[in-house]
Amino acid sequence: MNAVRRGIRNAFRNAMRSVGVVVILAVAIALSISMLIARDAVTTKIDTVRASTGNTITVSPKGFFGFQGGGTPLTTTQINGLLNLSNVTAVQESLSEQLKSTQTSLTSPTPVGQLGQQFGGFGGSSSSTGSLGSGSSATTTAFSIPIRVIGTNSPGNAVEGGANGGGTEKLTSGSAFSPTSKADVAIVGGTLATKNTLKVGSTFSAWGTKITVVGIFNAGSTFTDSNVLMPLATVQKLASATNQVTSATVVVNNINNVAGVDKAITKKLGSVADVTSTQATVEAQLAPLNSVKTISTYTLVGSVIGAAIILLLSMLMIVRERRREVGVLKALGAPNRSIITQFISESTTFTIMGAIVGFIAGIAVSSPITSALVSASGGSASSASTSGFVRHLGGSGGFTGGSSGFTPPTGATPGAGAFRFGGLHNTVTQLHTSAGWSTLGFAFIAAIVIAALGSTVAAATIVRIRPAEVLRSE
Amino acid sequence: MLKVENLDKTFHTGAGDVHAVQNVTFNANDGEVVAIIGASGSGKSTLLSLLGLLDAPDRGSIEIDGNQLANLDAAGRTKYRSTQVGFVFQQFNLIPNLSAKENVKLALEFAHWPKEDREARAEAMLEMVGLDAGKADRRPAKLSGGEQQRVAIARAFAAQPQLILADEPTGSLDKSTGQKIISLLREAASQQKATVLVVTHDEKISQQADRRLEIEDGVLKEIA
Repeated sequence: MNAVRRGIRNAFRNAMRSVGVVVILAVAIALSISMLIARDAVTTKIDTVRASTGNTITVSPKGFFGFQGGGTPLTTTQINGLLNLSNVTAVQESLSEQLKSTQTSLTSPTPVGQLGQQFGGFGGSSSSTGSLGSGSSATTTAFSIPIRVIGTNSPGNAVEGGANGGGTEKLTSGSAFSPTSKADVAIVGGTLATKNTLKVGSTFSAWGTKITVVGIFNAGSTFTDSNVLMPLATVQKLASATNQVTSATVVVNNINNVAGVDKAITKKLGSVADVTSTQATVEAQLAPLNSVKTISTYTLVGSVIGAAIILLLSMLMIVRERRREVGVLKALGAPNRSIITQFISESTTFTIMGAIVGFIAGIAVSSPITSALVSASGGSASSASTSGFVRHLGGSGGFTGGSSGFTPPTGATPGAGAFRFGGLHNTVTQLHTSAGWSTLGFAFIAAIVIAALGSTVAAATIVRIRPAEVLRSE
Repeated sequence: MLKVENLDKTFHTGAGDVHAVQNVTFNANDGEVVAIIGASGSGKSTLLSLLGLLDAPDRGSIEIDGNQLANLDAAGRTKYRSTQVGFVFQQFNLIPNLSAKENVKLALEFAHWPKEDREARAEAMLEMVGLDAGKADRRPAKLSGGEQQRVAIARAFAAQPQLILADEPTGSLDKSTGQKIISLLREAASQQKATVLVVTHDEKISQQADRRLEIEDGVLKEIA
């Protein structure tokens, strides 16, 4: 029987003590595993949420409420200046305008409907017999919904990236115009094209100018598919809005630099602009998770150290108890190496037994522990940041990229901003805990290393045992 | 043949120096049983520890078949203990969670006997000391004191050492069993041509030895 087998056998020598050591180790390992899993789950969630928020910042005129008014347009000069800021890789500018029925040959595909009658003052154009804004005289009103025109210097992003109101726009025919184009061209939404029998090469009039259709896109949304995209310079010229910009999307090189660029833009533009990035609000939402991550990390380290100390003390106790036996083994000619191996083998056996029990228990309790940690840390933090998040989502619509990551709550009925916030809140606090093989493998190796380290210290005391002293005390 | 010359060992304690072994010189032949008697604290066990290389002498030499042992390093002493010396203790000192046979095999493992020979050798040794075959797989706690000491003797002789050091081997046994154990040591020494040093304070036991030495205050002398 070699030293390893003797060590394994010794681990079962005293049933009560073995059970005690294994249970204590199992508790420490279970705590370590559950904290490791919690930490992994929280880290994954934080990374996912951060990634889903995108690396863009939306800049709009201060107090701008879209076509309902408010604010003074920004200028191309102001926006272009943002390109000089550190970590800014691109600035996409846009100018939103409306084409009333008197300004274009296009007909809106969207019916006015009851809401259109009620809010007819949003800019719709009326016929000579209509009365705008009355809301109660539906039978006499003949205004129509205006056509939304977006002048952009980033037609590719406008079509493919969702900057055109959010969605998954795809160019279905034709091509996009050049970012620096000043031509009288347009890409029109599929619904608008169908309504007006437009195809690539067709023309329509806007602001008294003939515009050629160069592309048609589809977004799967009637509202977005009723829009017209045109070169920024063209819209600025035709709408007599020279140098004006109503929205800009600043692209940051790294998601971690969004907060810094946000501050820099605010400082540069001062009080003339509203600067909104989802990053800051998402970070506020993530604060509880970061707190859980910190707690789980400290608890993990603590439980690992605890396990090592438990093992060390257990082995010291066992070595002390077997002092005479070690003396006898040495007297019989056992080399130190053999005796140390025997004790390491014994402690490793304890650790493996504790690890098996601890892994099972740790995996079983990881989900409730994680939930408890998140709910304990998240309550006050999430309520404190609620309004801020709603405001950001409602203001710019720049949060489009994250929609897939935020599951709307069942039966939610609030407005768009609140709805989206509810989704984020739920998603942030609903973590998926899972124990990957790499995590478990890492934990198992760590447990064995700790066992080896813990027993090495105990084994070092064995080397110092002098058999003559032990046997003399007989 | 064991040859000891001018062996000295002094312990430095808070109460002063204790000369446990002073200028000890003696020889013992192969197959010879030598009894060392003396009062408690006279230096008997210290002398055995020095001869078993469990402790290092301050001065002097120990030779077995012409090989000088006193100046061996730690690894050399370990090897010497595993191959050239067998110990028999008063309290038997068997490993409690190993069976009688496994205890014997332990000595063979440390002496690097071939694995395939250990089982047969252990069984032969247990048979030699008269342990019932049915008890070979019992743990020490399931054996009587006499049986445990038989197993200890089997373990001591298993690796065919040249020197057996028995420290009060009958001290925990009744007289009848003690006599049997001494007889057994004599037989084993004779069979294996090993030198046996038996430390005892029992006159009757010592009288069964081939020679008797007395140690008093660390000084050894031959007695009739």
